Formats: sequence, structure tokens, C-alpha cells
Amino acid sequence: MKTLLVFEYRRGKPAEANQELLGFAAAAGGECAGVLVGAESGLPAFGGKLYLGDIASLGEYDPGRHAELVLQAAQKESPDLIVFLQSSYGWDLAPRVAGRLKAAQVSAVTGLAEGGFETACCNGKMRRLVKPATKVAVLTLQEGSFPLSGTPSGTPAVEKLAPSGSSAGLEFAGYEEPEKKEVDLAKAEVIVSAGRGIGKKDNVPAIAALASALNGEMGASRPVVDAGWVDHNRQVGATGQIVSPKLYVACAISGAIQHLTGMRNSEFIVAVNTDKDAPISEVADVMVIADVMPFVAALTDKLKK
Amino acid sequence: MKILVCIKQIPDMASKFKPNAAGSWFSEADLAFRMNEYDEYAVEEAVKLREKDPASELAVLSVGPARVVEALKKALAMGCDRAVHVPDEEAYRKDPWQIASIIAGYAKKGNFDIIFTGMQSQDRGSAQIGPLLAGMLGFSCVTTAIGFSLEGRTATAKRELEGGAKGVVKAALPAVITCQLGLNTPRYPTLPNIMKAKKKEIAVLNAAELSSEAALAGTEKFYAPVKKGTGLVLEGGDAAALAGKLIDVLKEKTTVLRG
Amino acid sequence: MNLELTEEQKLIQSTARDFAEKELAPVAAALDRGEESREKFLANIAKLADLGFMGLNIKSAYGGAEAGSVALSLAITEIARACASTAVTLAVNNLVAEIIQTTGTEEQKKKHLRDICSGAYPAASLALTEPGAGSDSAAVSTLAERDGDGWVLNGSKIFITSAPYAGVFAVFAVTDKAAPKGSGISCFLVEAGTPGLVIGREEHKMGQRASATNEVSFENCRVPGDALLGALNKGFSSAAEGLAGGRINIGSLGLGIGLAAIDYATAYAADRKQFGRSISEFQAVQWMIAESYTELEAGRMLLMNAAARREAGKPHTKEAAMCKMYATEAANRACYNAVQLLGGYGYTDQFPVERYARDARVTSIYEGTNEVQRFIVAREILKSL
Repeated sequence: MKTLLVFEYRRGKPAEANQELLGFAAAAGGECAGVLVGAESGLPAFGGKLYLGDIASLGEYDPGRHAELVLQAAQKESPDLIVFLQSSYGWDLAPRVAGRLKAAQVSAVTGLAEGGFETACCNGKMRRLVKPATKVAVLTLQEGSFPLSGTPSGTPAVEKLAPSGSSAGLEFAGYEEPEKKEVDLAKAEVIVSAGRGIGKKDNVPAIAALASALNGEMGASRPVVDAGWVDHNRQVGATGQIVSPKLYVACAISGAIQHLTGMRNSEFIVAVNTDKDAPISEVADVMVIADVMPFVAALTDKLKK
Repeated sequence: MKILVCIKQIPDMASKFKPNAAGSWFSEADLAFRMNEYDEYAVEEAVKLREKDPASELAVLSVGPARVVEALKKALAMGCDRAVHVPDEEAYRKDPWQIASIIAGYAKKGNFDIIFTGMQSQDRGSAQIGPLLAGMLGFSCVTTAIGFSLEGRTATAKRELEGGAKGVVKAALPAVITCQLGLNTPRYPTLPNIMKAKKKEIAVLNAAELSSEAALAGTEKFYAPVKKGTGLVLEGGDAAALAGKLIDVLKEKTTVLRG
Repeated sequence: MNLELTEEQKLIQSTARDFAEKELAPVAAALDRGEESREKFLANIAKLADLGFMGLNIKSAYGGAEAGSVALSLAITEIARACASTAVTLAVNNLVAEIIQTTGTEEQKKKHLRDICSGAYPAASLALTEPGAGSDSAAVSTLAERDGDGWVLNGSKIFITSAPYAGVFAVFAVTDKAAPKGSGISCFLVEAGTPGLVIGREEHKMGQRASATNEVSFENCRVPGDALLGALNKGFSSAAEGLAGGRINIGSLGLGIGLAAIDYATAYAADRKQFGRSISEFQAVQWMIAESYTELEAGRMLLMNAAARREAGKPHTKEAAMCKMYATEAANRACYNAVQLLGGYGYTDQFPVERYARDARVTSIYEGTNEVQRFIVAREILKSL
């Protein structure tokens, strides 16, 4: 099995998620090479061969010419698999490459199984096992599916490529930075919620600080909202908002059923509580048994470093 | 201006999914179907463009079994001028390459200036049809549009990127635009328009005549993911040590601590 | 036999469901508690008018959707799943519109139907019930007396849905005091703002609290001659067909509340653990679920039959009374079960089932009590012997 990993740059530097490509290569075994549009001054930690296109001339987004680069690398390597991240870059570029090669593409791969690929479907609720029928297959990897154990290391052996080809009718015209928005818990990737067990209103800023250290939003259980410690628009639960973030941290929330209704579909749930058997343990992936406020302070501190 | 919007009908995502007899996709029994949410944004954007130019024409196309006519009628009620149904009782067995080939088989004769579709379907989630179709037709293609405008023969689309920033991309027509949630506010079809849509044309085309491409990949199994085990308990030690342990777990099991 | 909905009916149903889930469900509890304003409530009604829900069964020439009685029933059920107060407003608007369509003159239709359908009238009201004329509606005592080429109305009405924001009232009043009971009654279209039309006290109700229900009185309220709707002294008989439609509307509304309640409670039961297992594994719980769904399904079939007969122009007095009576009682039982399934939680406002139970209660009372419906069913059966 030979894989060609398509690394990506995000806003001028290698994406941290690139390590999932390495995690995939480790899981798949066999030889692997990489291809990247980037700069020599900022290469991903990777010990293999890397075909490098110059970002100064190719730009961060130019799928016509980036596809050309990947195809050139593929021609040199003759890989069995060309692997992208399932990202705004990967899902845009992968089908262009697959289409040119008339290669099977499997999107949102979550695992390797039975000589095929497991992929997420039905909004992530179900899985499919897909088997490509073509000699070379294109994959995009579902975020979080191929974690790399350990930190990536190595310096790639760079071979520069200068793709010909056109920009396929596209012209990149720059970035637009995100606007500051009102609280929308439904869209937050991380929510840190405060429960009655935080004790007093004065402790709310510490919870908010943890949320911001995790680049998330602060939520709250109903008693905290009813007590007037936190605004209603942050309430999670049957009568507040129904949320399903990537990470939900419940601080001093015992897990009344009306709260669980609002957050149980979160992808990963951490509960910080003094009671190991609090109902929230039914849905928690991790129970941290500790005094809440000192733990929150310590965690915030470590995250900021 | 000739506009095409390609839509899919998908089951309500709140449903419980069970494998079909062959174990290769979900059983349709007990499922309620509706227009793929991403495609609703595509239809809305297409209708908005259509309304700006009275001389333009907007067709909506769907490949799938008889039930997709309901989704086509919704698109007609939202403002599409005519519909194209490519009946295929077993469309779920086709891979994105085949579906894109069928659409291309129709679109290459249609002289379209712009084609909208959802960035992905909620059930398959492949996100391939748009770019594949563009490649087959020789159109430019922008994916994941969360903003769209058109001036002359140049479309300007904003792509949604990780972390909330947007990438602004100009695309020369003819173009395929794949639409992300939040691009606009899809309208509800009005009841009078639902009734009037009865009179709009729904052309029925033969899939085999549009494309005879074979599948490049096949679905072997359909199943629920393995459930996560009982939770991990972290306890003992001082707060800082516990916090360190939790950070290790979060790094391993989630993506939120990556840039 | 064909029990399938048409594609248009399915689309209207799914449009109503989408609207209800996205626009109504998030504010229904707050509207019920008075935490959201009446403006918010009326804004949703206006949006529904924009989508064509206020003249579902009205001809397109008058601004309606011409979608039929089955679609009207489906729409009310879906709206009621989320917000019964919105649903009753929708139901009454459509009822008044249908009465005007069946009995009105061309001028009246042009004048009022367009404004009801478009939402130019925020709502329309039916003013029939009086303190002394509830189930015995023929006992109406509001008087309309000739005054030159017009009429002068005097009397008072109670329990008038939408009165503070209605653009027009269909008012039943006695025009021939000498006639036998029930026959000297006529119907008048009274526009909001007419001098002498007084909107009285708003009731504090057990349920459907976002929708206003008021006393309305007429104090030397003068209306022009062309305000007379339908034939003089035949107000009751000419409105009868519309009122039968009103019963289907309320049955549909009850069905929606009942489904919302039992759907919520069933999902809860599957989730809730007691004695170490999901309570849905207990037979006592399963029976409640099974019975409620069976009864609501029976109610739905009665409703669809009555609505289909109405749409086809067939007699449906008996069927409309049957479905109103049965569906609203099934809904009340479903709400009872739903509260029971949630136990103590069901009795609190942290869960929606107590609201459903309060909202459902009136459906067996208004639009003709279920006792009156039974009387109608028996009368229709016995008269054919």
C-alpha cells in the first residue's frame, strides 16, 4: 500500500490537522509521500518525501493548479491512495483530483476495515463500508478519526514541483475575518456550562474564562439562569437551547434530566463534579472528580500556557 | 441566463436508521423524506438570481425514485420554472461519479450559465457531485459558498473556512456553485404557489440515456458506529495534575485543542 | 380506496410543520406564560398569512390558496403541534373566510376575503356565543334593528376569539323577534373600529393563552345595509356549512396537541430510567403509549374522512361532529397520559406537556361542546330512520 498525503496550509502555516494524515499513514502502513503547497520555511514535521509547490506563486487557494500539483506528484509516486483531510481545502480539491484520474473517492473516512474504508453518513449517525473499484483511490479523512500517537517529527526530503495548468476559472480575492457575533450556543464548538454547584455569582467569570481558554462559549443550567447569575440566552436544556458541540464541559452540574435533554448529543462530554454518581455520569465521557472551582482555575491556567 | 439547480431528497435526519435487506444502505420503510437541507439553500440562491432577471430561466433537476417528485414540486413552488426528473428506483446504489455523469449528460445539452447545488447531501455526505460535475462540463467551481453575488459573467462567492473566516473567490461563468448552510434564508413555499406549481412542467428523462458510466466505488455495508464505552473517571491528586490529565485526554479524543 | 395524500397536500403539511418547528415551537411556551409579547404572536400570524395559510380553502380570485379542506385540516394539526394559540387563530380566520365565501355577495368577498387572506386583517372573529346562548346558540339575543338603509346592533357576546385584533367580525343577531327560535337570526359583517363596537375584557384562560378571548358588546352599533351576510333571517342555516368546517378545524387542532404531547412523552419514556431500566419497558407505560397513538390515529382517520367529504361537496354534518368529538377527546386523554408518563416533571412548566394538557382542554368545549356534537351525530343518525 502506497499513500500520497496531501498536506495543507491554513493562513500561512501548516495546518495542525496535518498530523491526522500521518496518523492515517501509520494506520494504513506501507510507504508514504506527501505533497504540499507551502513554503520551505514552514514545512510540516514529516520524515518522508515531500513534493512542494511554492505558495508564493500558487497561493493558498487555487484548486486548478493545486490539483495539477497533486497529479504531478501522483504521477511520480503511483500511489494506491491519495489522502486529503475532510476540510474546506480537502473536500474542495479531492473531487477535482479524483475526477481527473477517474478514481473512486471515499469522503469522510472514519476508519480502515475489511480491506475497505469506513465513512460517516446520515449526519454522522451511521457508517458505511466502501470499497473502491479503481486502481487508485482518493480519500478525505473525517476530522478526529486518525489521531497520531506521539508528536510528529522528521524533516521531509523536498522535491519542488512547478505545476503548469490554469486556475480553472477561479481567482482568490482574499480573506474576510469572522465577525463578532451574539451568543449562539448552537454553533459553538466548545461549551463550558456552569451549574448551581459553582456556589455563587462571583464564580461565573472563572467559568467564562475557561470557556474562552477553550475558544468556546459559556453555557449554564437552569438554576444558574433562574438565580440571575447568567443570562437566559446561555441556558442549556429542555427550556433553553439544545446543543451538540464537539466538547461540552459541565462544571458542577449534577445532570437533571431537563439539562441532559439539552446536551446529551454533544460529541464529547466532560463533567467536573464532586459526586462520582451524579446523573451526569450517565452521559459523560470523562468524569473529573474534584472541587470544581480550584480545578477550573488550574485547567484554565494550563490551557493558557 | 440559464440556471440549473440540482437537488436530492433525503430522509429526516432525526430518524432512526436501519439497514436494508442487502445491508448496503438504509431501509426506507418508516422514513419521512424531505429536500436535502443544503439543496434548499441552493434553490433559494438560484431563485433569487432568477428573480433579478426576468429573461432568465431556472430548471431544477433530481435523480431518484418516484418520491423525489415531491422535492421537485417544492422547488417549483419556491420559484423554479420547470423540473427534470431522472427516475431511478435504485439511485442509492450509484456512486457520486455516476450521479454526476447523469447530471452532466443532461446539463451539457442545456447551455447552462450557472449550476447551484448543495455542498453535500445530509445522508451520503460525499461532497463530490459539484466539483465532479464542473470537471465533466469544463465549468469553474466554487464549493462551500456562504456568500454569493454575480456581476456580468463573474460570480463572487465566499467560502466558509475553518475557524469562521471566509475566503473570497471570483469564478468565471459558466460555473458550479455548491452551497453551505447559512448562505441565505430559504423561503417557505407559499400555499398558492404550491397549488400553482401543479401546472409547471416536470420532464422525465431516462438515466441510461444520459450516462452509462459504471460505479467507481461500492457500498458494502451500512451500520451504526460502535458506541462509546462507559466514561473515564479522573480523580485523586491535586487540581493541576488532574487538569494536566484532562488536557491529555482532550488532545487524544477530541479535535478542540488543535489549531 | 386511496388513503394517500396528494403531493400538494404533503407539501402543505411539510411547509406547516417546518414553519411550526422553526418559528412557533421556540416561542410557544414563552407566549403561553406571557413572557413574549402579543406583537410576537401577531407577527407569526402575519407570516402565516404571507404564506397563504389564512385562506386555504378560498378561491384564488379572492387571494386564497384553493388548497382544499384536507390540506386545511393537515395545516391546522401541524401548527397546533407547536402552538395551539396560533392554530386556533388560523382555524377561526379560515372559518370566517369560508362563511363569507359561501354566503357573501361579490362585493363582500372582494372586500373582506382579500384582507383576511393577505393578513391585512390581523385576524377575523366569529361573534356567536352570548352569556345566555352557549350550547343553545339559537337563544342569541343580540338585536339588529332596521335603521333607514342600515341596521343598528345592540347586545353582548362572550368568548370571542381574536377580538382585540380582528379586522372583521361575523356577528349573529336577531332580525325577526317574532320568528320561531333559531329562524329569525341573521349574520352581519362588522368592521373593526365601527362606532358602538366595544371590545371588552380579555378572559384569563386555562390554556391557549396567547390567543385573545374577549367580551364584545354592541352599543347602538350602526352598520350599513350591505353588512348583512347571506339571506335575511337565514343566518343560522346559511352558516351551518361553514360551522361544520369549523368542527373539522377544531378536531384537527386537538389532534395536533395530542400528538405533540404523546410524542414528547414517548421520547421521554424511552429515555427515563427508574428501577434500573427504561420506563418504556414497563407494560403500564406501553399501554398508555399504545392507546394514545391508536386513538389519535382513529381521530386522524375520522378527520380525513370528514375533510375529504367536505372537499368533495358531499354531506358531512355527521362526520364533522364525529371527528370533532372523537379527536378532541382522544387528544385530552393523550395529554393526560403524557403528564402521567412524565410524572412530577410533567406537572411543572419545565416540560411542555402541562401546557399541552391545558391547551387541549378547551377543544372539547368550544366550536360546539362535545355534548352538542353527540346530539348532532344522534340527530343525523335518527333522522335517516
